[in-house]
Amino acid sequence: MPWTSETHIELSGGGKLAIVFREAEGEEMAGEAVSKASRPPNPCPDPSLPPVVKKKRNLPGTPDPEAEVIALSPRTLLATNRFPCEICGKGFQRDQNLQLHRRGHNLPWKLKQRSGKEPRKRVYVCPEESCIHHNPARALGDLTGIKKHFCRKHGEKKWKCDKCSKRYAVQSDWKAHSKTCGTREYRCDCGVLFSRRDSFITHRAFCDALAEETARVSAAYTMTNTASIGSVDSLLQDGVATPNIWKHLSPNLKPNIMDREVGQQDRHGCSSWMGHGGRLDNAFDGTTAMSEINHAGLVDSQLSWIHCNKLSSLPTSNTLKPLMGSVPSLFTSLPHRPAPDVSATALLQKAAQVGAISTTPFSGSFGPSECQNTSAGDGSVFDGLLIHEFAASNTDEVYITRTRSMLRDCLGGATRDFLGVGVQTLCQPSANGWI
Amino acid sequence: MQNPHPHHHQASASCLLELDDPDATQKWAAELLRQCARAISEKDIALFCKATESGERCYKTSVSVAEMSHSFESTRKVILQFQEVSPWTTFGHVASNGAILEALEGEAKLHIIDISNTYCTQWPTLLEALATRNDDSPHLRLTVVATAGVGGFVMDEIGQRMGKFARLMGVPFEFHVIRDLSRLDELTEEELGLREGEAVAVNCVGALRRVGVEQRHAFIRMLRTFRPRVVTVVEEEADFTSCSGEFAVCFDECLRFYATYLETLEESFPPTSNERLALERECSRSILRVLACDGDGVGDCERREKGSQWCRRLMEAFSSNSFSDDVVDDLKALLKRYRAGWSLMPAQGDASGLYLTWKQQPVVWACAWKP
Repeated sequence: MPWTSETHIELSGGGKLAIVFREAEGEEMAGEAVSKASRPPNPCPDPSLPPVVKKKRNLPGTPDPEAEVIALSPRTLLATNRFPCEICGKGFQRDQNLQLHRRGHNLPWKLKQRSGKEPRKRVYVCPEESCIHHNPARALGDLTGIKKHFCRKHGEKKWKCDKCSKRYAVQSDWKAHSKTCGTREYRCDCGVLFSRRDSFITHRAFCDALAEETARVSAAYTMTNTASIGSVDSLLQDGVATPNIWKHLSPNLKPNIMDREVGQQDRHGCSSWMGHGGRLDNAFDGTTAMSEINHAGLVDSQLSWIHCNKLSSLPTSNTLKPLMGSVPSLFTSLPHRPAPDVSATALLQKAAQVGAISTTPFSGSFGPSECQNTSAGDGSVFDGLLIHEFAASNTDEVYITRTRSMLRDCLGGATRDFLGVGVQTLCQPSANGWI
Repeated sequence: MQNPHPHHHQASASCLLELDDPDATQKWAAELLRQCARAISEKDIALFCKATESGERCYKTSVSVAEMSHSFESTRKVILQFQEVSPWTTFGHVASNGAILEALEGEAKLHIIDISNTYCTQWPTLLEALATRNDDSPHLRLTVVATAGVGGFVMDEIGQRMGKFARLMGVPFEFHVIRDLSRLDELTEEELGLREGEAVAVNCVGALRRVGVEQRHAFIRMLRTFRPRVVTVVEEEADFTSCSGEFAVCFDECLRFYATYLETLEESFPPTSNERLALERECSRSILRVLACDGDGVGDCERREKGSQWCRRLMEAFSSNSFSDDVVDDLKALLKRYRAGWSLMPAQGDASGLYLTWKQQPVVWACAWKP
């Protein structure tokens, strides 16, 4: 759905442009700075320049149906440094970057402007046939994005952390990891602090705090009504029960996981969801599930963040029409998936905050120190968090799956594409809507 | 200096020399050792205990005292602290877990037969790896073979914790302890309850040395009948077996090995550590077990063999599987987390596997085998 409002956002700083959200026939206009040689960029917005519209970020793998699908070869995707500097030989992936670099050599430089007649938006598919993004319906909208995706998922992991021997395909991911590796501290519920992850894990397994926790959870669990998995209708009915859990869960998710994610494609999706949270709210007003969840006091951004982390290719607000039919699936799948995942996260990594960010004193209980709406000192938050961890054994498989992937996300593993497995069926209506 | 051990046989008194003379000191020490060795080879246990323990406790008493004090709490504390300050045991864990994970990659049902002295401290990191490494965690069945010496209630408590932790990790898990074995070589396939469709890994950490020397050949062959995908072996690098006829040689080797071990304890732990004291006491019991036991090594003698010796035995039933580069990298990263002095050394010549070295001296040997 095209934007109906016009917003002016002016960015301070030299050489920046005014950005205008402009209503257009479903298309956005984009432009970049143009500057003449040997003159610094214009510090004031030039009124003669056409106003530019900052491109909105879509969720990864949810392409504009009007877009042109481009399939690049693996060699192209992996190529780096295709634009070398003639002076120092340093290579750049994009011409724009090279141009900016040339300024440092006092060479003439020119940034190309996109052609005036708006080219068709491009989306890119992954050449790997078994990959979910090989399907044009799930193409990625960003060239850098598809390159990084291909490298991370299908590329050779050439970069290795020498402290923990974790491997990365993308150098920037490896660098980002190396900065924080070994600096993280892990705090067990019993109060002991660890600098080493392996000691923390081993300690955790034998810790008395774990033994107590499970006793408490079992008690809490038996008092709670569990929604049955896989049944969309019942999930809606259980809208009453689940939002309470969300109230507890969502504050935990954000601080724990956001900071730790390195190089995950979904991050782009996250930002878009953050921005679109409001839109989603308006669009779904009146939907039972949504309003119930809203009444539970969930912050949209948290909700949407959870969304993006787990369900990486949900439709965006500008394709709401096809989505309306699948709204129930959107929200009913929500309460389920992260709950048991968070329990594993919470129990194992809840206190594992990046050393730099948190020095809050340990609360002495299971209550996470960064949680805003929990009463510290009692296990009530944990009751909610753990509620699904000890789901009936006949649902073990499903919960276990979610626990694991969430755990992996938090511990820095590859993000699992949930839609690639279970939710795809639910999304089929929307997929058809696009094609 | 007076004769410090008035219980010494009279014949030795004339051999003691003045202490101011450093050479004399050495000769005195050597003579003392020879007398001790002779006493022990003549099965003069009482003398030996008095000479070494400076107390009235004899071997049997000290063992029973040890068992009484082995509560879950104290065991856990000592073991975990030891792993925190020294890679002596974690080296074997990381190597074995790495080999097991790689050998069982892609399998949906895993069965690990754990014949070890690790008290399951090896498994939390493996559970975590199963949970985070793969898209779908496989089902893990863990069968622990506990020999006499490990208190029954300790293993129960441990089993419960493992189960809870596995649930936390989201790994479908089953735990079983086999504890009515007086000897390891009494283990049979029936006891283990092997199932169809399982991928089996046998984890022998500090286990082979607890098998009677004459039964080792059969024991290794028996492991083969479990049809494992991988057998991980970790042993301490010492030879108390080939010298079983000559006590003095055994004693020398004992001295060398345990002196190194005690040195690592001293340099790894803080000076006033209760855990270190507990380990040192355990060490002295271990020495007694080695030296005071009977010829064949029946009971808990723990007659160790060196890696090269184990290789010769294992090659009769298995072929060696070298550790992958990833596992070696993990081991290097592990050693970085400890104080300086530790390093890795690949096995040379006919032997396979990897050694953990302390000041260039190999102390622990790890190796993976496949059928």
